[in-house]
Amino acid sequence: MEKKKKSGFIIACTAPAIILFIIFMIIPTIDVFRMSMYKWGGYTAEKTFVGFENFKKLSSNPKFYQAFQNSILLIVVVTLVTFCLSLVFASILSREKIKGQNFFRIVFYIPNILSVVVISAIFSAIYDPNQGLLNSFLSLFRGDKEPILWLGSPKLVIYSVAIAMVWQAVGYYMVMYMASMANVPESLYESASLEGAGRVSQFFSITLPLVWTNIRTTLTFFIISTINMSFLMVKAMTSGGPDGASNVFLSYMYQEAYTNSSYGYGMAIGVTVFIFSFALAGILNAVTKRDEIEF
Amino acid sequence: MKMKKVLCTLMAAAMALSVAACGNSGGNAGDTQSAPAEDTNTAEDTSAAEDTAAPEETTEAEAPESDAEGEAQAETGATGTLKVAAVETAYGADMWNEVCAAFEASHEGVTIELTVDKNLEDVITPEMKSGVYPDVILRAVGAASGLTETFVKDNNLVDLTDVLSMTVPGESGTVGDKILPGFVENSICNPYGDGKTYLMPMFYGPCGLFFDQGLFTAKGWEVPETWDEMWELGDKAKEEGIALFTYPTAGYFDAFFYALLHESMGNDKFQEALRYGEGIWDTPEAQQVFDIIEKLATYTESTTPANANDNDFQKNQQLILDDKALFMPNGNWVIGEMAEAPRAEGFEWGFTALPAVTAGGERASYSFFEQVWMPAGAENQDLGKEFIAFLYSDAAAEIFAKSGAVQPIQGMTDKLDGDNKLYYSIYDNGAVAVMDAFAATEAVEGITTRATFFDPVNSLVTGDKTKEDWVNQIKADSDALRAALKE
Repeated sequence: MEKKKKSGFIIACTAPAIILFIIFMIIPTIDVFRMSMYKWGGYTAEKTFVGFENFKKLSSNPKFYQAFQNSILLIVVVTLVTFCLSLVFASILSREKIKGQNFFRIVFYIPNILSVVVISAIFSAIYDPNQGLLNSFLSLFRGDKEPILWLGSPKLVIYSVAIAMVWQAVGYYMVMYMASMANVPESLYESASLEGAGRVSQFFSITLPLVWTNIRTTLTFFIISTINMSFLMVKAMTSGGPDGASNVFLSYMYQEAYTNSSYGYGMAIGVTVFIFSFALAGILNAVTKRDEIEF
Repeated sequence: MKMKKVLCTLMAAAMALSVAACGNSGGNAGDTQSAPAEDTNTAEDTSAAEDTAAPEETTEAEAPESDAEGEAQAETGATGTLKVAAVETAYGADMWNEVCAAFEASHEGVTIELTVDKNLEDVITPEMKSGVYPDVILRAVGAASGLTETFVKDNNLVDLTDVLSMTVPGESGTVGDKILPGFVENSICNPYGDGKTYLMPMFYGPCGLFFDQGLFTAKGWEVPETWDEMWELGDKAKEEGIALFTYPTAGYFDAFFYALLHESMGNDKFQEALRYGEGIWDTPEAQQVFDIIEKLATYTESTTPANANDNDFQKNQQLILDDKALFMPNGNWVIGEMAEAPRAEGFEWGFTALPAVTAGGERASYSFFEQVWMPAGAENQDLGKEFIAFLYSDAAAEIFAKSGAVQPIQGMTDKLDGDNKLYYSIYDNGAVAVMDAFAATEAVEGITTRATFFDPVNSLVTGDKTKEDWVNQIKADSDALRAALKE
């Protein structure tokens, strides 16, 4: 009887959250899956059921593969570079005694507070072929050669976007790593240095294993945020151009769903992204599984 | 105990999903970034209150003859509330408020609920999805949202052919007689090619090549009349470190491409090309167009593709103002857009139709125009048509013209002055007006005309694609679009 009362109370307490969650998360998600089976313009009530037709078209569309490639490239490059940089910065800022530590902490974190539109405006100015910071600096070494089109060359543009994304993300992950590094007991480092371990081996044998759980969590964040942020960056910086060369998953989905009267097809892209990011996060989680080290 | 397990599983699933669902939300960002609701301009508050009082008084006085009254009102159209939705462009929202007030004043018992917004789609889409449509919509084809195209593709428009034979309210002529020739008989207004008009032409503006007249005068250069002269001028300018050509974004090639195609092919083949005619892109005329654009790419200011996006396109337009490039394709809105921008000394806007393909041949200028139309779900169709007819009255045209919005109405260009006169008189000086666009198709997933026809120009300029790559893509996509043509 007592138990029943207790579970009744739990249900009553969690019900509002669960109901809201179902209405605003589960039902829309199911709806995305359902809509991907329709041919629908998006504005009117007229829909035709087409089964897996949208997915078939998707699988034979080179533009989708281009967007897919760009997304994967961004996920890999941005994750790797950001991960390494923020780990190194975090360990330097938390382990070493440097002047102006707080200053650097703030400087690294600032890009994260800025809105994407501001960031893309900053980088548009940096990448400007004629008056941009980057080309002006490079002209010291290259002389008066033709300017490099950072956002204009189909081969370079995605890397230009990647650099902006790394710059934006480093501070955030650095703070996350610093938080867990602060929890590592000082005594471990002391005994290690007594044993004669250098800074680098301390980093690899003590710091890294002890913040591993945190790293695993951030890897999932990397996937999700890269997919989302790349859309915002591309939308604000290049509009997917030139010639579609910087399209990523979601910018391509947006283009199809909202400008090509192909809402259903757009949702099919959404479903693909959903499954892809789920699978990737799962794989990463499995691959990085280690026995937890306690301290 | 079991209950607890179920609950735990549910909540764990909830957490897992909420993480994953984030990956999806990005796609909707455009939808949620809609303009604040305050921006929506509802004329209803200002004018409706006074007017609704009037019919009540009459019904009281003539209560026994309510039937007769109904008939009398049927003559002038109908009473009721008309929902009008118009996009706010550079012309501003005031003119719409005024026109609606004028319509209400001349049509007793009519109230207009006006929605004017820069992001019109974001405002009206939620209601449309639930089946409540505005009666009259002003939104041009070619907008990023593809609102008008979607209604065309879905066969969701009211046939407006009979509006052409309606008498303009308060005047003696019909709407059809008043509209300039060519503006109704084109593939935009007759999207299905069945001789029926579904979209009505509204404000128009000629598109062509813009340049710095001051620079030409100072250097003693002539504005080229043929493409051969254009290349000569390009070489001359190159020696002075000035590029021949630039473009704001590749999307601006639509007007350019249509006009050039018309010059090269003549109207019959042009119409065939717009319907993605089989083998049309292999004809020598089409090849000539591709050759010209390919050559033009080599004369284009080399940094243009880097700024050819929605964010930085004004930097490309600035090249003209700074005398770093000679010509760019554009419409007359560019003057307002760049009004505040710094410019070279002695700068003066110049405007010309495209150079002719052969000496003495046709010179074309694409006429961009907006359209007004009625969705099939409109409730007050008769009143809506009456309203559209009213938009072509002198009274309405005058209100629009005050804001700089010019309609394709007979005699309208005579009333213009100043800069506007220069642009609109281009057709009086022998340029052929081209008004069509690619024919309507069912939505073809993964293929947009912009990505197929115009975006690759960026790659032509950077040298990442060859003309052959481009033409092959056009041919392949044309096949798919042809198969989806509306009959």
